[in-house]
Formats: sequence, C-alpha cells, structure tokens
Amino acid sequence: MITGRVLNIQHFCTHDGPGIRTTVFLKGCSLRCKWCSNPESINPKPELAYNPSKCIGTKECGLCLKECPESAIFTVDSDARVRINWDLCTNCGKCVPVCPPIALYQFGREVTVDEVLDEVEQDSSFYRESGGGMTLSGGECQLQPDFSAALLEGAHRRGINTAIETASNVPWEFMEKILPHVDTVLHDIKLTDPERHKKWIGVDNVRIRANLKRAYETFPDTTFIARTPIIPGVNDDEEHIRATLAFIRPHKNVVDYELLPYMRFGVSKYGFLGRVYQMQDFEPPTAEAMAKLRAIIDEAFGRAASVAERKAPRA
Amino acid sequence: MSSTKRIAVNVGGGFVPGLDAVVTGVVRAAGELGWSVAGIRDGFDGLLFPERYPDGGLVPLTGNAGEVLGNATRTNPFCVRHVNAENQVEEVDRSGELIERTRASGLDAVISVVGPQALSILFKLHRQGLTTICVPTSVENDVAATQLSFGFNSALSFAVDMLERVRQAARAAGKIGVVEVAGEHAGWLALQAGIAVCADAVLIPEIPYDLHEIAVRLRHKIDTGQASGLVVVAEGAAPSEDELQPAAVAFDAFKAALSPGATGRARSHVIDRSGFVAKTVALELQRLTDHATYPLVLGELVKGGPPTAVDRQLGLAYGAGAVRGLHAGRSGVMVSFQPPDLTFVPLAEAINRTRTVPADGMFMKVARALGISFGEREVRS
Repeated sequence: MITGRVLNIQHFCTHDGPGIRTTVFLKGCSLRCKWCSNPESINPKPELAYNPSKCIGTKECGLCLKECPESAIFTVDSDARVRINWDLCTNCGKCVPVCPPIALYQFGREVTVDEVLDEVEQDSSFYRESGGGMTLSGGECQLQPDFSAALLEGAHRRGINTAIETASNVPWEFMEKILPHVDTVLHDIKLTDPERHKKWIGVDNVRIRANLKRAYETFPDTTFIARTPIIPGVNDDEEHIRATLAFIRPHKNVVDYELLPYMRFGVSKYGFLGRVYQMQDFEPPTAEAMAKLRAIIDEAFGRAASVAERKAPRA
Repeated sequence: MSSTKRIAVNVGGGFVPGLDAVVTGVVRAAGELGWSVAGIRDGFDGLLFPERYPDGGLVPLTGNAGEVLGNATRTNPFCVRHVNAENQVEEVDRSGELIERTRASGLDAVISVVGPQALSILFKLHRQGLTTICVPTSVENDVAATQLSFGFNSALSFAVDMLERVRQAARAAGKIGVVEVAGEHAGWLALQAGIAVCADAVLIPEIPYDLHEIAVRLRHKIDTGQASGLVVVAEGAAPSEDELQPAAVAFDAFKAALSPGATGRARSHVIDRSGFVAKTVALELQRLTDHATYPLVLGELVKGGPPTAVDRQLGLAYGAGAVRGLHAGRSGVMVSFQPPDLTFVPLAEAINRTRTVPADGMFMKVARALGISFGEREVRS
C-alpha cells in the first residue's frame, strides 16, 4: 500500500484548475520562496504548530508540559500560556492529543491512496456538473512521485479529472512518472534570471526550465498553464512576463499564462511554526499593475483584454 | 586531561556591549594556562562554512582580543539550509559534522557567548558530545540562571541617559514622554531605568496595566503646575484583560497575523514587538489626560555602544570564569554570577527559564516607595 504525507484536503476549490475541484496538499517542497504562503507545507515531515491565543494556560491545564519528552514546552512567569522552545522540539507530536483547546496541533499526516481518493470522490457530482476534479498541490506534489502517480492514476480510474500545481524543481524521472496521469498541469515560472531566482527562491531555475521544456514536448496532449505569482519589486516587471511568453508560446499545449497577485495569506502560520516571515514590508500589487501585465499576456494570446479582469486565484 | 589545550570562542546572538571583554577574558585566562585560543567566525558558520572566509573561518586570538569575531543571530547547526545534489533546497542536521570538525580542528572545547535562545542549541550540541561552557548575554537580564547577564548594565546606563533627555525635552515642551525599552517577558530594564530617573510610571510585562490610574496621577500633576511627565514601558507590557483597547489605535490585521500571540484583544501589543506598546500607551494616555504625549522607542539602540565599567569587569570575569571551568574539567554548563560568586549551572537547568520581576522584590519596593506607578488595579479586600 503506497502512503504519502498529506497536509490538507480542501473541497470546493475554484482556482486550482477547471471547474469545482478538491485540492490535495502534499507536504514537502524543494524551494524556499521568501513569500511562501504555505510555510506549513515546506517540511516533508509532520510538524508541530502552536497557536498561543488558544492556549488556556497552565493554571487550568498544563498537560502538554508533562507530555513533552524533550522539555521543549515551558512557561514564563509573566504569562499563563505555555511557550515552545522550537530548538528543542523534535515534532514528535506527543503534546498534540493532550491539548484540550487544540492550541497545539500537527501539520501533515501519513495517508493511503484510497483514503485520499475516497474523500475526493465524495464530491464527484460537483466535478461532473462543473468540469472539475482533483488537484494535487503542495508543497511540491511531485516530490512524492509514487504516491502522486498512484493518486492521479486512481482518480482517472474513478473517472475523475486530474490537475497538479507544481514548481517542477524535481528530477525528470519523477515528472515522467506523474505527468502521464495528469490532464492539466499548472506550473509556476517565478523568475527569469537564474541569479535572482536563486536569491529569492533558494535555487536557480536551470532545472525547472529544462524540465518544463521537456514536459511540453514529451506530453503534447496534456494541457499546460503557466503561472507567475506577482511579487512587487521581485518579478512585476514586463521583461519577466515577456520572457515567460517567449518561453511558452512556441508550445501549443501551453494554453494560458496566469498571473497571481502576491497576497499575505498565511503569514500567521509563520508565527504558529516558530518561524520569521521575511516579507513584512512587501505590499500586494495594485489592480492597475496587474491589469497592465495581464494585457501583455492577452495580446500575446491574441484575445480581448476583457478576460484580464479574472479574479485572483489563491496566492 | 592534557595540560595544554586548544579552545575556541564564538558568539551566538546579537552584539551586546561587553562582548569584547568576554573574549579578552577568555584569551588572557587561557594564556595564563598556556592554552591557545581560536575564534570561530559568526557563531558556528566559521566551522560549517569555512570556504566563505578568507581566513578559513577559524582565527587565532591573542593578547587583548579586541577582534570582532562576528556573531550569528541564529546559529542553528541542527537546521542548516542547503541545496542538495538534486538542486533541491533542504534543511539538514549538521551537528554531528560540526562536532567532528571541532575535533578535526584540534579544538578541545568551545566557549560560546549566547543569549537565551542559542543556549538551547548549545545544550543539544553538548548532549551530542561537544565540550562547551556558555556565557550568558542578555540586555534584558532575563536569563534565569544568572543574577546578571553582561550587557544589561550598559543597556541600563544608556536607557537612563536617554530617559533623562526625554524628561528634559518633555518638560520643555510641556508633554508626557512615553519611552519604550526592551523587555519582552521581563521588565528589569524598564523598572531599573524607571527608578533611576524617578519616572511617573513604569509598565512591565509582569503587571498587566490599567492606564486610568496612571492618567489620574498624571492629571493631578498637570493640574498642580507640572505639565509634563515620563512613562517607561517595557515592550512586552500588556493591558489588563478587561481594559478595552483604545479605539484610536487602528488595528492592523496584517501585523496581527504576524504574531499569533496577538489575536486576543488584550494581547494585541505583541503584534509589533517594537514600538507598538509605546504608541498604544501614548495615544491612550493622551485621550485619558487630555494632555499631549509623545512616544519614543529605544529599541535596538540599547544593544550598541561601549560597555560600562560593570560590563567590562563582568565580561572579563565571565570569560576567565569559563576558562577556569574548562580547566576544572567542566562541560555543558553556563557561567553564572551569583554575587559575590561566579558559579556554574548545568545547561539543562538554564534553558527554558526566564527571570522575571518578582512582585514583592526589592526593586518593586523601592519603586513604590518613590511613588512610581505600575498601573496596577487596586486590590481592595
């Protein structure tokens, strides 16, 4: 039985591919985008999170203090709520079941392919009506190639349309395994310049571009949609949009290029995970700036600008 | 134990006045024993990433070591980000490798100058076999296992200096100055500085405040011809649970999201560690007293500058004390100042403990005797 590490299964998603979809978020990512809105998805292993505002305090509770084998939970006299020593926490999860208000919880769990598919299939009537289906997202869903391939193949067998959201920074063998079972590939092209890619994302984009080109050519019947999260000051320049268009336009199976405005979703989760958000001073792009960039894409795809008013998918 | 040793010294955490004194203390005390001392650049980076440094990351230290070793604000050898052979970013545990490199570099022990956070990392490294003695640094003086962290006295002197200036300016302008100083969990800096300048009020994390009481006092002062005031607030000070948040302060949902502890109404002060409480208190006092106020945030400024005589002596003593501890065969301990003695506390007992201001301590009594208000709710039985 193949199992995988899943973060969340989200129903009724409308921005992760065609129609109404159920999105399965897989854990683990090979990039470290500074603007990441799903920081809980980065670590491939299950991970502790703590929301202090839910803690009822050591006067009434304090159960977690006794449970932690690493002494990673402690108190400060000036505050009733517990604190986490993130340097000592090993993510063993022993404190999670004893926390009555669920201030302590764990991101990610090990699940089987059928468990996921059974849950996804519950909404199959919506998929039929809307042309939707299942989307694998993350994290990077292609980092669990066997699990993802089994999920996608299983979905197809159950008559469910499939899509993935990917950054494509994985070994080609992984993609080779996964892509035959995917109807729509939503893939990011975050930055053009390799040096700047490395600065903001942690690695250069050489492999990503090679993978994408190869994928376009190897799977001519698969639908590809390119995407860029627009981060003001990072990649909101016309050059990046034009360079991306030049990269995708020769391939007829890349049917669209979407721009996702940077949003500050998920910043609270950084605190819950004991991490620091590095983009505090970044503002979301203005509607005008987005419209201007989208107009370039509409022109390249030879369509009316009215489509440019599409609402922003999730960040 | 061999008679001659080679030890290293490094700094985790930010710069604190007196740092050079600790390093000098280590070098001189080690020199007396005939030991040699090397400095590891930027926390443990000098050992983990020697290729980044022209000097190989490990520098010999001699004489009065005034050299700036650099410091790592977040040295965590247990979670080092790197790009693997598959071009994938991952965080790896390099602690074993670090300990191996320490041995390979001929180092018998490492003396680490660390704040409360990095103390946990050294605790784990010691558990894995690193011979280490830690020296506590904290401008907030909130490391529980020692009476006095070096750096605190310099921060205190600077804060007092600034408060005196703010008071003069406040008097000249006929305003109430609200000055925020460091102290997220413990109010030592605000309390002791507040006492030194006889502030009108001091707000500390240990005592949830009610500004009405302070406003009444300030109003009285203004009405009797002293149209200025000085309020010192620690950055972690919080209003008492049932005090309403002033409507005048726009609640920044984004900043609230950054700090999960801020979601509760009364705890919204933790939203923005720096400046939030000064702004909140200044606005609310202005509303309650009908008198002009102005906020000032000392913030990171207290962490710079030259050390005071106390911190020089304490730093040298800590440095020399750490060497003495190694000479006596100790490891996995922190040097602790328990006046009049310099002792050693096991790291396991030093981590996770914060020294807060006791409600009935000497400093509180002094402050109360001087008529300094804490904004306490009056408890009537």
